[in-house]
Amino acid sequence: MIQLFRVSKIYPPNYPAVKDINLQIEKGEFVFLSGPSGAGKTTLLKLLFRAEDASEGQIIVNGRNITRLNGKGVAELRRELGLVFQEYKLLPTLTALENVALAAEVVGVPRQESRKKAFHLLRELGLKDKHDARPPTLSGGEQQRVAIARALVNDPILVLADEPTGNLDADMADETMRLFLRIHEKGATVLIATHDTGLLKQFGGRAVFLQRGQVVRDSKPGRPEG
Amino acid sequence: MRFAQLSFIFLRVLKSLKELLWTHMLTSGTMAMTLFIFGGFLLIQDNLQSLLKGWGNQIQIFAYLDNSLASPDRQKLLAAIRSYPEVESVRFVSREEAWEKFKKSMGSQSGLLEGLQAEILPSSFEIVLKMPYRSHTSIGDVVKRLRGLGGIGDVEYPEEWLEKLSLIVLGVQWAKWILGGFLFVATLLIIGNTVKLAILARKDEIEIMQLVGASAGLIQAPFVVEGMIQGIVGASISLLLLWLLFLLLSTQLPSFLGIFAVRDQIHFLNAQGSVLLLVLGWLLGACGSLFSLKRFLKA
Repeated sequence: MIQLFRVSKIYPPNYPAVKDINLQIEKGEFVFLSGPSGAGKTTLLKLLFRAEDASEGQIIVNGRNITRLNGKGVAELRRELGLVFQEYKLLPTLTALENVALAAEVVGVPRQESRKKAFHLLRELGLKDKHDARPPTLSGGEQQRVAIARALVNDPILVLADEPTGNLDADMADETMRLFLRIHEKGATVLIATHDTGLLKQFGGRAVFLQRGQVVRDSKPGRPEG
Repeated sequence: MRFAQLSFIFLRVLKSLKELLWTHMLTSGTMAMTLFIFGGFLLIQDNLQSLLKGWGNQIQIFAYLDNSLASPDRQKLLAAIRSYPEVESVRFVSREEAWEKFKKSMGSQSGLLEGLQAEILPSSFEIVLKMPYRSHTSIGDVVKRLRGLGGIGDVEYPEEWLEKLSLIVLGVQWAKWILGGFLFVATLLIIGNTVKLAILARKDEIEIMQLVGASAGLIQAPFVVEGMIQGIVGASISLLLLWLLFLLLSTQLPSFLGIFAVRDQIHFLNAQGSVLLLVLGWLLGACGSLFSLKRFLKA
């Protein structure tokens, strides 16, 4: 699903955020990307959804080289991905339902169908009574679930999550992680960047450790445990 | 683009017009001021041109004949001039008729002419050109040919007056494009900045749309459509203001100045001019939005 060949990202004047990384993630894997702050986790994820361009190397996602894509290609790539962020990135003026439906509408799903899909997803994620609520009135955990619903609305083949539990308390973090496991069970490849080693111990699965922009350890692939 | 995406754009535009009404009004107002000034020049130029055309109806060329010219030669000359494609009519003015006219023009001082005879004045042809040939260049061209004909002594026409009027029209025309051009660029920058404010207000929304895979076209389209609407509203306001000003001036100015008998000759912008203003507004709005967006999305 993901292949990185000697990938580097160097920020000016000469700061290597990611250095000479080789990595392969198979279809259907559940992988933690771990390491301390500044290790290059976020940069690596950004390279995968093309928020950043690699300075060197080649990146293949779902069989397509994404290293040199034009604007149209980047938009097409992102339609195949589900992105989740620590700070949720929800629009405060839209309701939970509208936030989720927006992602489907922009890729051409008719409005009614988008809203229907969004409604079902929110119900599935335990937000049945919150679809008319706006993000500022929701708790952190609820906001993150709305963000996850948005990431899932276009049935992504790959889910990338950057510190999805970073703003949540332990219970909420646990609940959110279980959602990712459910997504994984349905067949999606999941890559989660986190500095929380407790999550790795609790949920297992494959863990790739980064330090100073380089892969320093890659645990054996295995099934995550709930 | 699919119907779902078109409906998405339409709904976003409606939402933005509702939420950022005052920002949109401000931009439309700026455009209205620019287009008002440009439209004003258009109106002045249009009216000057039609006045010139009206006055052109009274423009005549006087070809004075040699005294020695015999009547059959005069008839031949008359036929030759009538055959010019530019000529609408030619009238022969005899010495006697010219003398009578001259005496009349002297009024109470006609006594000064006592002892003189009609022979001191030459007979002439009064030549009126067809409408499309009443320009300064066409008249000059005909005059040149007349001067080359045998039997014609001198040719006169209101050259200086024509030149001046043509220059005024030309000046207004240039002022319209130069001043209009500057204003256009200035408005483009103002609109660009207003759009930038609107973009900054919706920065998160644009970022999220990009993250979920919206195409650049879909992100830009609502802003460009908003710009077009602002432009058309601005142009409509400028047309309304111009019309009000025109009404005021056309009723007040002639009587105030007391010199114009032109009240019936001046007119408001025709359909072509009005459409030009609307199209300019539309373009101004669309281009302003597009330039600003391209810069923002690139950054």
